[in-house]
Amino acid sequence: MVPFKLIWRNLLRHKLRVLLTAGSLTVAFFLLCVLQALVVSLDQGVKNASKKRLVVQSAVSLFVNLPASYQGKIETIEGVEESMKMTWFGGYYREPANMFAQFAIDADRMERIYSSVELVEGSWEEFKSSRMSCLVGKETAKKYGWSVGDRVPIVGMIYPRLDGSEWQFDIAGIYDASQEASIDDLTMYFHWEYLDEAMEAGAAGGADGIGVYSVLLSDGYSQAGVGALIDGLFENGPQRVQSTPEGEFNAQFVSMVGNVPFFVGTIGMGVLIAILLATLNTMLMSGREQTRDVGVLKALGFDGSAAFWLLLTQSLLLCGVGAGTGILLALGVEGPLQALLGSNFPGLRISSDVLAPAVLLAVAVALFAGLAPALRARRLTVIEALREEA
Amino acid sequence: MQESQHGVELRGVSRIYTRGGEGVKVFDDVDLSVNAGAFCALMGPSGSGKSTLLNLVGGLDRPDSGDVVVGDTFLSDLSESALAEWRSENVGFVFQGFNLVPVLTAFENVELPLLLTGLSKAERKEHAMHALELVDMGDRAKHRPGQLSGGQEQRVAIARAIASDPGVILADEPTGDLDFESACQVLDLMGRLHTELGKTILMVTHDPRAAERAERVIHLDKGRISESSEGTESADDGFREVKPREGEGA
Repeated sequence: MVPFKLIWRNLLRHKLRVLLTAGSLTVAFFLLCVLQALVVSLDQGVKNASKKRLVVQSAVSLFVNLPASYQGKIETIEGVEESMKMTWFGGYYREPANMFAQFAIDADRMERIYSSVELVEGSWEEFKSSRMSCLVGKETAKKYGWSVGDRVPIVGMIYPRLDGSEWQFDIAGIYDASQEASIDDLTMYFHWEYLDEAMEAGAAGGADGIGVYSVLLSDGYSQAGVGALIDGLFENGPQRVQSTPEGEFNAQFVSMVGNVPFFVGTIGMGVLIAILLATLNTMLMSGREQTRDVGVLKALGFDGSAAFWLLLTQSLLLCGVGAGTGILLALGVEGPLQALLGSNFPGLRISSDVLAPAVLLAVAVALFAGLAPALRARRLTVIEALREEA
Repeated sequence: MQESQHGVELRGVSRIYTRGGEGVKVFDDVDLSVNAGAFCALMGPSGSGKSTLLNLVGGLDRPDSGDVVVGDTFLSDLSESALAEWRSENVGFVFQGFNLVPVLTAFENVELPLLLTGLSKAERKEHAMHALELVDMGDRAKHRPGQLSGGQEQRVAIARAIASDPGVILADEPTGDLDFESACQVLDLMGRLHTELGKTILMVTHDPRAAERAERVIHLDKGRISESSEGTESADDGFREVKPREGEGA
């Protein structure tokens, strides 16, 4: 076996070229990890979503509200244990740039329907007890420095207060939804009655009705079966509905911006092919430059496999350092990524589902780029190698 | 370092290269015998087969017919990997262009062939430094080839060639790229390898002054060998009996 210092120093023979190639690998694998994390997040949104919940929305569009009266009718259907109103509020904190998700909900039902959500500060009782109370995700609370007891002003865009003032909410709890695939840590939940009463009193504008109903099924009932019953109930009603398993709803919600997995996969493939060719080019040049060294090694008695590993190990090292740095960078920005994209990609993480394919791809790129020069080195005779111009 | 027990013999060797679809005979049924410990210069015009002869003796090339025998070893009997192992133990090469590995220091270059031996790190260091000191390059052990003059590089290459104490040194125009003074130093060294260490040396050269250092000069022309007028050995008295192959008659 050839000494490691020979492999390493040959790799660094042209430092700038190696640095540029390793830098390209770093950028490429950083991007691949982030893109893969987005796809995995979407998949997990579907896979990990509760099998016991349905989302009932208007059959016309997600942007058309359903009558509030539908809730009672939905709950008459066999297999429905409970339901919860969820209406997109669409507000921001002080400035439009501070936009985040807010939902008006049935405050007394959320604890049961989303039982995996844990309050890290405050209590459910406090949240339920006052109509101005709200729950805030821990990331949003951290971002704005909020804590339980704070009163926060929110400007409503879909439901503006008619006197131009801000809505006021009292933080009764800060939640952690890390165990709940369908909820991120960025959202605010408040009493639907608070919104409804303001609209009834003429203090706020906006569309009547409910955005969607989140429906919890009783044990032993299937999403498809109960969904069909709900859809059938309103078949001839004033507003037809569409019941969707929660996971499917999550996936559709994200896909409203397009076929995200396809889009992301195509970009990833492009990045991969580009870096594959760049690394191959570097290794081919490197292999050519080391032809004489290969000849010398063989003349001294090193065999073809030593020449083979001299080149292939350099490729593995180059990809290991470049891709490894990219993967570490992706791990390093996991937190900021979650804050930036977590609302659209809940559960966005650089997990083993992201890391394992990235490592495999790095090895594949190294083998692809290193095999041609390594095989050439193994095949070359001493005479051919020493004849070749350096 | 031990005196060489390696004589060299070519028996009815033919070598034909294919160029442009046509076969070009470099050697046709050539016989040659060199005693163990002999210092031979190979001379002849370009294309006469000098380097091919060195390559055949060094196991870098194979004859189309005939046998190349070094010491007791019939090279044509060895597989590629066995041939590589044999080279590492028995042959040291000195090239015209030095062919040091540029990313390694002088010491590391000399240590390279020792990596194929079973020596420990400390033993390798001792052998490599000894070889460097023999060529008066001990104080340049940590220099890379790019930091050495041509003459110094060639001396390091000679140290590398003798580091594992091979019986045969094959030198392909070792002074071809050197100035007069450096060439003299290298030739002195080659002479010392012959006289003090008893190595069998085959040296290709175009330079008659270099050839004068050898005890025997072999002229090659158009694939034929003619003996030297200057050499102390003749084709006949240089013959050394080689053990026959298994199954062959004595």
